[in-house]
Amino acid sequence: MISNMLRFPFSMLDNEMESLFYPEVYRSLAGHSQLTYPPINISTTDKSVDVYLFIAGMNPDDIELVIEKNMLSVSGTRKLPDAQGDDKGSYRQERFEGSFKRVITLPETVDTESPQAVYKDGVLHITIAKRAETQPRQIKISAQ
Amino acid sequence: MNTENKELTTQQNKVEVAALTPATDIYESKEGVVLYVDLPGVSKSALDIDVDQDILSIKGKVDLTTQENMQATYMDVRANIYERRFTLGDELDSSKIDAKLDNGVLKLSIPRLEQHQPKKITIKVA
Repeated sequence: MISNMLRFPFSMLDNEMESLFYPEVYRSLAGHSQLTYPPINISTTDKSVDVYLFIAGMNPDDIELVIEKNMLSVSGTRKLPDAQGDDKGSYRQERFEGSFKRVITLPETVDTESPQAVYKDGVLHITIAKRAETQPRQIKISAQ
Repeated sequence: MNTENKELTTQQNKVEVAALTPATDIYESKEGVVLYVDLPGVSKSALDIDVDQDILSIKGKVDLTTQENMQATYMDVRANIYERRFTLGDELDSSKIDAKLDNGVLKLSIPRLEQHQPKKITIKVA
């Protein structure tokens, strides 16, 4: 009973803290509590690994992409434009501002020599090819 | 138990995709309000903004460059629609909304109605 009572206020506090620092929007973006920015999606095909970072309003020059061994790291600083002027009051501030870093572990099969990155409509799309020898090959059967 | 019925319900569940709530900043100045809405992945053609009476609706579809036979391995973003509504105060002029979409950030500037704009009165020196 005592332990229950103890645990309860702490979990309440967690929720409180979370809603203070991470507005509803990130939780709903992820469908669960999202403590990291930016949100990412990763898809794979036989030939490549595709990483999508949802990182609107950036200058691509301000995003640093590094591949080291099988770790892809994306970092940068997001500055919001002309936030506060003299006569400007803010009603609502939900958008992420500040430094971010996300590290993604890539499968062993990728060829880290040839990543491609395109920034379009606020999404950074990184394509990393899989090494040729790890891609499935079809073997032709010749009739005799 | 009717299996056909069961299948129907699961299908319906699949169709029902929750929309994402885009992160929004709102600033107010003497001239009006400015909204910044994060809509990463939404292009100009996939964005709908409309005003119905005092409700401003923003709806955008995420359109990613994909490849054939892609399989999702990790997803923070589980839906491809952003949707959000705002109620506009009646001192705002909804007929003069200015919208700009730049790198997935929508900037909406909504001016106050003329009669609500601050007026400067010049005092003549006699």
